[in-house]
Amino acid sequence: MNNTTDILRLPAEILYKDELEALKSEDLNETKPIGWQLSPKAVFKFITGGTSKGLTITPKYIGHNRLVEIAIATLLTDRSLLLIGEPGTAKSWLSENLSAAICSDSAKVIQGTAGTSEEHVRYSWNYAMLIANGPSNEALIKSPIYRAMETGSMARFEEISRCASEVQDALISILSEKTIAIPELSREIPAQRGFSIIATANTRDRGVNDMSSALKRRFNTIVLPAPANLETEISIVTKRVAEISNNYQLKAALPTNQVIEKIVTIFRELRQGQTLDEKQKLKAPTGVISTAEAISLITNSMALAGSFGNGSITDEDLAAGLQGAIIKDEEKDKIVWKEYLENVMKKRGAEWRGLYNSCSDMNK
Amino acid sequence: MHKDLNIFGIRHLSPGGSFHLRAYLEQIKPDCILIEGPSDATDLLLQLGNNDVKPPVALLAYTNALPIETVLYPFASYSPEYEALSWGLKKGCTIRFIDLPTDILLKLKQRDNQTDPEIKSEFHRFQNKIYDNVAGLYGEDNYESYWERNFEHNLSLHSYNQGISLEATEIRQLVIDKEALALPYDHAYNEVREAHMRREIKKAISEGFSPEKIVVIVGAYHVEGIQTDRTTMSDETLKMIPRAESNMTLMPYSYHRLSSRTGYGAGNKAPYYFELMWQQLLGQNLGDLSAIYLSSIANNLRTQGHNASSATVIEAIRLANALTAMRGGEYPVLQDLHDAAITCFGAGELAIVADALNRVDIGTAIGSLPEGISQTPVQEDVARELKRLKLIDYKSAIAQELTLDLRENIKVKSTEAAFIDLTRSTFLHRLSALKIGFAKQLHVNQETASWAEKWVLQWTPEVEIEIVEANLKGETLEIAVAYQLKEELQNGDSLAVATAVIAKSCLCGLTDIFSNALAVLQHKLVETVSFSDITEASRQLSFILQYGSLRNFNLEPLFPLLQQLFLRAALLLVENSACDDKAATAIINGITQMETVAREHYELVNTEIWHNEIKVLAQRDDLNAKLSGIAFSILLEHNFVNEDECAREVSRRLSPGIPADIGAGWFEGLAGRNRYALLSRIGLWRELDNYVQMLDKDEFMRALVFLRRAFGDFESNQKNSVAELLGDLWGTGAESTAEFLSKELNEEETTKLDELNDFDFDF
Repeated sequence: MNNTTDILRLPAEILYKDELEALKSEDLNETKPIGWQLSPKAVFKFITGGTSKGLTITPKYIGHNRLVEIAIATLLTDRSLLLIGEPGTAKSWLSENLSAAICSDSAKVIQGTAGTSEEHVRYSWNYAMLIANGPSNEALIKSPIYRAMETGSMARFEEISRCASEVQDALISILSEKTIAIPELSREIPAQRGFSIIATANTRDRGVNDMSSALKRRFNTIVLPAPANLETEISIVTKRVAEISNNYQLKAALPTNQVIEKIVTIFRELRQGQTLDEKQKLKAPTGVISTAEAISLITNSMALAGSFGNGSITDEDLAAGLQGAIIKDEEKDKIVWKEYLENVMKKRGAEWRGLYNSCSDMNK
Repeated sequence: MHKDLNIFGIRHLSPGGSFHLRAYLEQIKPDCILIEGPSDATDLLLQLGNNDVKPPVALLAYTNALPIETVLYPFASYSPEYEALSWGLKKGCTIRFIDLPTDILLKLKQRDNQTDPEIKSEFHRFQNKIYDNVAGLYGEDNYESYWERNFEHNLSLHSYNQGISLEATEIRQLVIDKEALALPYDHAYNEVREAHMRREIKKAISEGFSPEKIVVIVGAYHVEGIQTDRTTMSDETLKMIPRAESNMTLMPYSYHRLSSRTGYGAGNKAPYYFELMWQQLLGQNLGDLSAIYLSSIANNLRTQGHNASSATVIEAIRLANALTAMRGGEYPVLQDLHDAAITCFGAGELAIVADALNRVDIGTAIGSLPEGISQTPVQEDVARELKRLKLIDYKSAIAQELTLDLRENIKVKSTEAAFIDLTRSTFLHRLSALKIGFAKQLHVNQETASWAEKWVLQWTPEVEIEIVEANLKGETLEIAVAYQLKEELQNGDSLAVATAVIAKSCLCGLTDIFSNALAVLQHKLVETVSFSDITEASRQLSFILQYGSLRNFNLEPLFPLLQQLFLRAALLLVENSACDDKAATAIINGITQMETVAREHYELVNTEIWHNEIKVLAQRDDLNAKLSGIAFSILLEHNFVNEDECAREVSRRLSPGIPADIGAGWFEGLAGRNRYALLSRIGLWRELDNYVQMLDKDEFMRALVFLRRAFGDFESNQKNSVAELLGDLWGTGAESTAEFLSKELNEEETTKLDELNDFDFDF
């Protein structure tokens, strides 16, 4: 990783290297849990924002500080942490930043899919070597969790409820005994202090591969809610859009506050099934309309504007993005969106007129 | 004020405060204890030292005349005031309460009507902002957590005592100028109270108690006001202050009530939790509190059928401790315990543990007072009535059933004995009108409802509290009930409320309120345009008329009202009948009620107009078809139409060209009421038969759905009769037709019928 500027997406510990350094030097005299590079309070500051040694620590997770506190406290008790929530509620983002802050390594990740097998969770073999020399240390391929146990650091397990139950249950012994047994080598690898797992799961996947209660019991579960109010969500979107456009070097001007407020308003209203003033009930579309989608909608629009337009986001760009984000199930969502346009947006006056016209042209 | 005086600032309902106060008293060993609390209640409050008193209890003072004002001082076992009282009585100290007497407090409260509520709430927002800021500076989310962590958990007497006075004094300086400006009345009220407290302290000193042997216990906010050298209240000033005529009493109290009071000190949000804390403080074992609390939560969850293992309790305790450590605290505060419980027991969801949290936070404790300590007028009234009505045996914690026969008992001599059950019934109805939970009426089946009533009686401490609270409404049961009903009448604005009050006042034997309610009902009646609301009211009144005569209550004033209700309902019928099938359900119900009233009070109400309106409804084609059908069936019932007319109407309604759903809907209405009236009219069936025969396939499908519904709730012998009738018509012989028609369906037919369920109507 010599030239970090060419890397598409930087892990949190590199993206926020300066902040972590500043916190580390500020934190020198604090007692730290074994295996942690920062004290719990510094980790909290890294996630929720503040200043350290004159450097502004950007807030990474906005709006629910107490949940962050509970998450950190959970990891302090060497319990494992399970973050669940609707898609796009920053589960993975929080888990990445927590591991970056605690052990400067957010890369030990297992991505849960239907194809994830028990070997991915524990260890597998280099079969050429296995056949040539029999089981040996050299032939062993360690899983991210294995490596985290050896080094006493954080492992991440994304979308845990996407993988099959028997694969999930491979975690039970790891979490309760804190060892991995390798019968082939007649050995047991004990976890070093500081080891823990941060898993994420999606509430929309409930029932796909429900976690067994034995496994659930070994996690402290935190439900990440959608942002509590309009202001919080606007600030989340503004911040992330700025970061992403910087990262991807989008050649478009940052959107105005007005644009972001409009998009977030539309998203919140459709998500909650009522207008912000709570006077009008709305039909919610079939898909999830998360904050993450609002962010990607705006960055998409910026990409469109930067590459094909005059460099600033137009109502047409936004309309195209909205159309794609909201209409997932062709027929029903199209009607929902149409109703919203006619009943709500059309009546919002001149400020919204341009966006309304573009959207209704798009939604014909 | 004298510099040697010992002043101890407290927060009400604070176990930490009680704990330190006890140590403080042990250290000073005072001769005289002066406590913030109404000075005229000293004698009453000293009775709380009685061994049989079980907190929570409260002192209640209330005005005798309107507007009713109250002041309430609740005491829990962990209240510092209660602790001081118990300690002082044990050591034989002089104990006095030094705040303004209750009659002045009440008068001053009564006169407080100048302040604009907007200004008041703005000032409170400002005040709360300061508290929030204090909490924020300590990295806490709210003031309660800050308070618990820094004061309740502070085990050093010196730092507690210094800290609380210092903080309260500083906050007072931040708000007092603004208060004087924004809320001059409140500000002055406070000044007067403090001047009176200083006066009482001075009095104690002049009586010979040496200042260093006096301990003054006041809310921390008042410490500065007591310490100042400002003038004390003189005798003349005290005389000049107006007083309200008032009463006061001690009463049992409950944790549930305590927890629903706003802004009254530390421990009122979670009384049981704070009681647990008090016990742990006494046992020098505060560290165990989180384990006790979380185990109780687990226990509660288990009884509700949730899974809550001991292992999870341990994890929750560890998480709570970790949360505490992150805030730099020593023991978890209630918020930490809540969050740990939500995370570990609820898997992140409050909903699962909310009920258990509530139960353990609040608890179910209800205080009690020994006989005779608390005697308010209503309590005495109730006791007298219980004795007079020979119900004293029912005053027990075991639920007992009581059956009443409201008729005159002719076997006994005195009138009082003859009507004892009626008087009992009135008494019990009064209690339930006041929402006093002593007696619950059971439903008795219709045939005996006229003279029999069944009650379940059970005396609980909560009943005692409710009776004491009834004093706020009046000094006897009767006056209190009248007041209660009057309030209900004023606050409700629907016909239903007025009718309910009429019924209640009749049951409670209250003539005045009865006529008031009648007047209100009459006003509402004129404004109401809903047919079903009015029929409901007239049904209620007719019910009272039917059964009320037993209660020796003059019901004559009801007659004109029922007439008026009936007439208005009749006139609204046609207008209300232009509606869809959904709204028609309520109208059908209303029509049935009207028919009942017409039948039961035919000599009273104008049935002629009613039946004219029914005729109009039956004839018109532009109203809801089902309702027209019902109206027509009523005409049939009363023999207002003859056989020919009936056949003609059926054929008109079911003629070709009429959409099937309207035609069959009409028949559904017709068949919905008196079926025997239908079964006896053969012409009707002939027309129906003709109708069905001439439908084309698509129309037949539509009609079938409605007809099937219409015949769906016919009983089997009625269906047989229909089959026999049709057999006669078709000439296939009554019996064989009936047999053929009532055969089990074969598979093909069943499938066909099932297909109908998916039939798509393009309404």
